[in-house]
Amino acid sequence: MEKVGIVGYYQVKPETDIQMSRPEMIFYAARGALDYAGLKRDDLTTVISATNDYYDGKTISNCFTVEAGGAYLKDESKVEMDGAHAVNYGLMRCLSGHHKLALVWGASQPSTFYYSCIRVLENDPTFDRPINLLNDYTAAALGMRAYMNKFGVSVEDIAKVGVKNHKNAAKNPLAWNEAQLPDITVEDILNSEMLSNPVTKLMHALPCDGATALVLAPEGLAKKIIDDPVWITGVGLCQETYYLGDRDLSISVSMEKAAQKAYKLAGINDPRKDIDVVELFEHSAYEELVLAEALGLCEKGKGSSLSSEINGEIPINPSGGNIGAFTPCATGITRIIEAVKQIQGEAKGYQVKDANRAIAHGQIGFCAQNNIVFILEGGKR
Amino acid sequence: MKGEILTTKGAVRAEFDFWVGLYLDKFLDGLEQKKFIGNKCSKCGKVYIPPRKICGDCFEHIEEYVDLPDIGVLTNFTFTKWAISERRPRQSKNIKMIGLVKLDGADSAMLLPILKTEPENLKIGMKVQVVWSEKPQGQPTDIKGFKPIGGA
Repeated sequence: MEKVGIVGYYQVKPETDIQMSRPEMIFYAARGALDYAGLKRDDLTTVISATNDYYDGKTISNCFTVEAGGAYLKDESKVEMDGAHAVNYGLMRCLSGHHKLALVWGASQPSTFYYSCIRVLENDPTFDRPINLLNDYTAAALGMRAYMNKFGVSVEDIAKVGVKNHKNAAKNPLAWNEAQLPDITVEDILNSEMLSNPVTKLMHALPCDGATALVLAPEGLAKKIIDDPVWITGVGLCQETYYLGDRDLSISVSMEKAAQKAYKLAGINDPRKDIDVVELFEHSAYEELVLAEALGLCEKGKGSSLSSEINGEIPINPSGGNIGAFTPCATGITRIIEAVKQIQGEAKGYQVKDANRAIAHGQIGFCAQNNIVFILEGGKR
Repeated sequence: MKGEILTTKGAVRAEFDFWVGLYLDKFLDGLEQKKFIGNKCSKCGKVYIPPRKICGDCFEHIEEYVDLPDIGVLTNFTFTKWAISERRPRQSKNIKMIGLVKLDGADSAMLLPILKTEPENLKIGMKVQVVWSEKPQGQPTDIKGFKPIGGA
């Protein structure tokens, strides 16, 4: 695959209640990413956003973010999915040869709506909505139980993922304050409020306000903009059926297929050897294990024995991951930015040693119905 | 933002008719008669309930309908005190038990309430039987839920 570089990025600090309007938050992210790269709005040829009309409380919500997101009198489009999907769209535009510079941003403000309630509107209106039993709590509970039951994994093993991500988040100044818990224990996780058995509050990603943005440029141009662009060398995307009752929730077929496509493009034969760090979008702690297994980082059911701490063999979510800051629509972009920072050596306080090749991941839908995997590489060998 | 001055309130409400298609219409007619009707892919033989228009595995139109029994297996479950609401989060008085139920002869499972037992009795693999509403009206909610066979 022809290389596309990430030449700028910006993360607005996620907050429970950010005390600014949605356009202001988006402006700081978009303008911040351009400033990082030393670019002006006029340099951009396209702008892609990730927002959700339900989360914004109005249809075609991108028509209100034109000025804030840098798309005023520009080529512009929107992805109603995760920010990582918007990055894929921007990547395709750069690879088409018709666009030179793409700004991609994602944002939402869950302090203004009830996230778990809005997710109910995602359900099949002909059956699941009248029956009314599915939201992000119950979906995660079904996924977690399927995984535990199939592989004999204990609830403590899953809580450990929550411990790791909360502790990592405490080292990351751009994680969500409420998720930065340096002294958290497995017991704290298990004793926190039960959302839907067996998922407790501290093993679930809780939404917060935030916006993130990055700038993409084709290879030749990227090298002119900054000295050390991080390159997207592979991408894979796959989705499975909506119906949870049709799926084996203990595994992720779509993640596995997405990863295989990305590995092929990037020339990765053994992810265990070839990948230095992984940034995953886990909606709930168990999902990190299911997704890591689907990436081929270990055998199925063995995710909890992976050495995934910051100084471990295969660090997963050194930034704290999605449990560390879940900003809907932005979080997939955040995963990519965090992987870029690791490769650049800019992840101060949670830096993985000698990271040069990373996986970043985004998803959408109940129990990760749709997964997208990026391979990112630096210039070091 | 929830500051008193910094936000304005707004509700979004819109009426929709969701076209259910003849395949789901058959299923709903079945419920009115306290019967389960699924459909079967002629290529792979997979039996879906509620019926699907298309088999995802085969990308084929499904034409054949099959009657299914009112008993099945609990393949997954959870229970929660949180109400599942599209309006605002709130806790219910009673813990709601929720299960994925695979009817005998079906390949897909339906997400439905589990009734007449306690959360600690729920087990993956347990046999369950439907509880119909007293006056079915051809709606998904005609299925009140499933209860353990033998009353666990």
